[in-house]
Amino acid sequence: MEDLLREYLPILIFLGIAVGLGLVLILAAVIVAPKDADPEKLSAYECGFNAFDDARMKFDVRFYLVSILFIIFDLEIAFLFPWAVAFGDLSDVAFWSMMVFLTVLTLGFAYEWKKGAMEWE
Amino acid sequence: METIILFAPLVGALICGFGWRVIGEVAAQWTATLFLFLAAILSWVTFLTFDPFAHEGGAYTVTVLRWIESGSLATDWAIRMDRLTATMLIVITTVSALVHLYSFGYMAHDDNFDDARESYRPRFFAYLSFFTFAMLMLVTADNLVQLFFGWEGVGLASYLLIGFYFRKPSANAAAIKAFVVNRVGDFGLALGIFAIFLMVDSISFNDIFAAAPELAEKEITFLWTTWPAIELICFLLFIGAMGKSAQFILHTWLPDAMEGPTPVSALIHAATMVTAGVFLVCRMSPLMEFADWTQSFIVWIGLITAFFAATVGLVQNDIKRVIAYSTCSQLGYMFVAAGVGVYSVAMFHLLTHAFFKAMLFLGAGSVIHGMHHEQDMRNYGGLRRKMPYTFWAMMVGTLAITGVGIPLLYLGFPVGFAGFVSKDAIIESAYAAGTDASIVAFWGLVAAALMTSFYSWRLMFLTFYGEARGDHHTHEHAHESPMVMVAPLGVLAVGAIFAGMVFYKPFFGSDASVDKFFGNMKVEEHALAEDPVSPLMLGAAHAAGEDGKEHKRAAQVPGQGAIYIAEDNHVLHEAHLVPKWVKLSPFLAMLAGFLLAYQFYIRRPDWPERLAENQRYLYNFLLNKWYVDEIYDFLFVKPAMWVGTFLWKKGDGATIDGGLNGLAMGIVPFFTRLAGRAQSGYIFTYAFAMVLGILVLVTWMTLAGGN
Amino acid sequence: MSADLNIILPEIFLSIFAMLGLVVGAYGGKDKLAALFVWVTSAVLVATAAWIGFQGAGTGRAFGGMFVDDGFARFAKVTILLAGAAILLMSESYMARRDLLRFEYPLLIVLAIVGMMVMVSAGDLIALYMGLELQSLALYVVAALRRDSVKSTEAGLKYFVLGALSSGLLLYGASLVYGFAGTTLFAGIIEAAEGETPLGLLFGLAFICAGLAFKISAAPFHMWTPDVYEGSPTPVTAFFATAPKVAAMGLFARVVHDAFGGVIGDWQQILAVLSVASMFLGAIAAIGQTNIKRLMAYSSIAHMGYALMGLAAGTAQGVEAMLIYMAIYVTMNIGTFAFILSMEKDGAPVVEINALSLYSKREPMKALAMLVLLFSLAGVPPLVGFFAKYSVLLAAVDAGLAWLAILGVVASVIGAFYYLRIVYLMYFGADESELDTGGSGILWGFLIASAAAMVFGVVNLFGVEGAAAAAAAALVN
Repeated sequence: MEDLLREYLPILIFLGIAVGLGLVLILAAVIVAPKDADPEKLSAYECGFNAFDDARMKFDVRFYLVSILFIIFDLEIAFLFPWAVAFGDLSDVAFWSMMVFLTVLTLGFAYEWKKGAMEWE
Repeated sequence: METIILFAPLVGALICGFGWRVIGEVAAQWTATLFLFLAAILSWVTFLTFDPFAHEGGAYTVTVLRWIESGSLATDWAIRMDRLTATMLIVITTVSALVHLYSFGYMAHDDNFDDARESYRPRFFAYLSFFTFAMLMLVTADNLVQLFFGWEGVGLASYLLIGFYFRKPSANAAAIKAFVVNRVGDFGLALGIFAIFLMVDSISFNDIFAAAPELAEKEITFLWTTWPAIELICFLLFIGAMGKSAQFILHTWLPDAMEGPTPVSALIHAATMVTAGVFLVCRMSPLMEFADWTQSFIVWIGLITAFFAATVGLVQNDIKRVIAYSTCSQLGYMFVAAGVGVYSVAMFHLLTHAFFKAMLFLGAGSVIHGMHHEQDMRNYGGLRRKMPYTFWAMMVGTLAITGVGIPLLYLGFPVGFAGFVSKDAIIESAYAAGTDASIVAFWGLVAAALMTSFYSWRLMFLTFYGEARGDHHTHEHAHESPMVMVAPLGVLAVGAIFAGMVFYKPFFGSDASVDKFFGNMKVEEHALAEDPVSPLMLGAAHAAGEDGKEHKRAAQVPGQGAIYIAEDNHVLHEAHLVPKWVKLSPFLAMLAGFLLAYQFYIRRPDWPERLAENQRYLYNFLLNKWYVDEIYDFLFVKPAMWVGTFLWKKGDGATIDGGLNGLAMGIVPFFTRLAGRAQSGYIFTYAFAMVLGILVLVTWMTLAGGN
Repeated sequence: MSADLNIILPEIFLSIFAMLGLVVGAYGGKDKLAALFVWVTSAVLVATAAWIGFQGAGTGRAFGGMFVDDGFARFAKVTILLAGAAILLMSESYMARRDLLRFEYPLLIVLAIVGMMVMVSAGDLIALYMGLELQSLALYVVAALRRDSVKSTEAGLKYFVLGALSSGLLLYGASLVYGFAGTTLFAGIIEAAEGETPLGLLFGLAFICAGLAFKISAAPFHMWTPDVYEGSPTPVTAFFATAPKVAAMGLFARVVHDAFGGVIGDWQQILAVLSVASMFLGAIAAIGQTNIKRLMAYSSIAHMGYALMGLAAGTAQGVEAMLIYMAIYVTMNIGTFAFILSMEKDGAPVVEINALSLYSKREPMKALAMLVLLFSLAGVPPLVGFFAKYSVLLAAVDAGLAWLAILGVVASVIGAFYYLRIVYLMYFGADESELDTGGSGILWGFLIASAAAMVFGVVNLFGVEGAAAAAAAALVN
């Protein structure tokens, strides 16, 4: 058990450093930064002109659709990269597994294309 | 054949009770009646052809089916046929068949029901037949549980029939009273059966009787102390008998039971069911003979009942109540006989009493029927000419119950009406037994005989003689009953006249004749019978000592023979040797009673009034039945009502209902509302609940798990 | 490899069917094909059920133990497939008449069912998660099938967000377990739990239990259930109430026995607490409901409490009782939802309980069938529902959890109230019911068949008992 847990030591150290770094940066800003507040500084920054609407606005649902599709194919790439890198050492099973995966994705893509998910209007 | 006798009434009851819609009312009634007549005829055949010595132990069994098997309790549903059963069979089926027939007339019209809308007759006949079946179950039982089944069955039938006029509150009350009072007795009987099973590990009669001598040696711990087992068992069984046979203390239900239709009173509350207690004591004679203390207790109770009921009977005005108290009183006689050890005489009186009492009731029913359901004797009078057949039937019944006969004349049997022979046998036996209790019983019974005579003749005189009293209109329409009602009276009259003389020998003649009749086997005979090569030798072992020689009785094996008479029990023999004045005394008492009644109700009809005036307290005491009902009301009914009301209002109403309703209508809805409010519809609430849940689980895990 | 594929052949078959269906649907006639799809899909599901059911006995493991095909899995799969087919058949006319019948609907159901089949066969935490998510994603979509209804989309969204939270809990637990056991294989976890069990492993167990409790909607992870049941189209609700419950219970049983069979004492208490909370919450909260779908949601919560009681026993007898309970529960719910689906007034669906007032006068046969089902749901002897409860109570008592059994009985007494209230309304209500008479023959058939099963099943429970015993023996050894 001990051995097993020791393998997690780097993670623990990493976590500690992350928390510590975050704290240091925040505290540094509080301590070091000069505090000279005026209304302009406290207002929301919007490309140089005054905010004209509530920041919480509705986005068209199509944005979500696009982003979801993006994520799916993004993940596909994430799977494909290691597969491609290690391609020379792969067994037949590994090759065909990816083929099946791609087929499934392709079928899905064909479906959404036909359903019109890619058309903006 | 035994099976047919037993089940014919049941089949009749089922067909009549459930099938009348199909076959029609009249056919249903005839079905029930004919099945009963079939059973009656077969019963007589069985009775007359029954030879106890043809069977091992004087009895044989017909197994119907395996009934109960539980642990060491294994019992069949079987018919035990011996002389006691055979005797009871003829009594039950004969009276029942006649009552069925009689009911055609009696129930032809009834104001309590609307003829057009409801059918009550098939129900009545079905109940009657069912009762008969239950009663037959009781007497043919081969073991105590089966007997108990019949015992409760007749109780149920009695309940149903007493409450037959269910629209009358008084009938319902009487039915409940009969049921509840009988429960007291049944409790004793059940305990007795338990005790027997505990001691003998069997409930079969054969086993119990065989174990009787050992049982007499044993002791049993019950309640706070140790008892002789046999005394306790017999006492408990007798408690049951007291309830069913309406003996003093538990007698209160019987007079009230007269709320039922009169044929019911004749069948159940005179001839059959109420004699079940007597039958039980006789059936258990192998045990009773070893329980001296209980025996004398039985004598005392029988005596008190005979005397008490007779005194109350003197002043009652309802014709059925007079006969009811008379029944109570006669049952007391039977118990005295059983108590002093002459079971055959008890059965003798049971038999004769069934005939004349059934007849008296049916006669009274005929009068009531003819007088448009008027039951008060003060409104009768002079009905002799209006109802000649009924009058003669009642006359025969009265002559029988009062014990009219020719004293001291002996033609191989005494000459007289049935009651004369059997009642005198009891009184002589009581004298002959010679114990303290039985001597008192002798005098008490003689006094009771006087009163019996008085109230019976009072009934006759008030009803059939003198001037017509009461509603003029009713008297004008008074009429003789139809032939279906009169014919049974005729049959019963034959029994009431001749039963005593015919059956004198087998029931009371001599030790030898009784033993022969009941199949009582002596030890040496039994030994012979065990050896299949030897022929049976009957009745030879006993040498009667008519001429004053010392009387000897050969020892009898318990269970060999229908009744058991212990070796030292000579009462039956001695009863024949009592002095002449003893034999005469019941006759004289009867005569005195008759003359008194004649004086009071024929010659000076104003005397009863004046006597009641003079002796107001005594009169009220008797009229109110010794205030037993009032005492019970005060001792048991009121406290029970109070406890019941308390438990109902406070216990059930406030605590249980209140608690449960509070829970169901207060707390549960509260939580329901809470749950409803928690279901806010906001995701964050739901997520929060989940987080709380996981928190609880993890905390629990930390505290309780991971050991 | 081919042996591995052979074992998961039914799942592969169904997946291919679903994907082909998707393409055919999209490029073919779109929703015109939907009705046909429903029929074909039902037939395929039944065929698959028969295939699995009549497959040989024994235990097969694929992919190094990640996928287990044993008697237990087969029992659960057959139940799931049959339930799915029944619900599909029942939905067709309802959805068609409300213009809800998309061709994706039966295919999504198939995909959900594939997920469920993977769940009950999971022999590894990863397979578990994969099956669970495949099921959940499909269900999120069908919950929101009626896109133009606020309630339906709300139901889908709530289900999705809370489902994501529960998935997070489950994943957190799985990672804890992996961290302390060093493996995701159940066979490895059960070894790691032997002897001195690390607390972290138990923490992981608690989190996994929480995640799974969400799927079977056990209190206090039940909050989504009433809203989702109410908002989803009724056929979808019916589906939610049946197949996924069986799958999640099966998965639950698999996890606690296959992976944590060595620490029964530890998860027993968790399950007992969940069971008591569900039984009582289901019974008490249902009383206040006026919407029959919400009522059925609470009813299912309570029923899951009883099924959990069987599982909490921690014995083969307990698993057997749980399986029997689930099979009977599914049968009862199919009948009940067939009735609910047929509740219409002027062609529009009605879910108000009060609308059933004096329904017995209008439709005596259906009212009688519903009466039988409600009595069975309440656990009134001699109907089959009683024997379901009886078996779990017996298992709990035999496992020494008499207190749990007693609480179960108390809860069932409380719960009987709301079932009987409907019966009361149908037979002694105040107003005359104005619901339409007649209606779909399929619904009528399912209703009557289900009610008849409740009555005639008492003879031998249609042999479910023996199958469940064999299944339980395969899981617990």
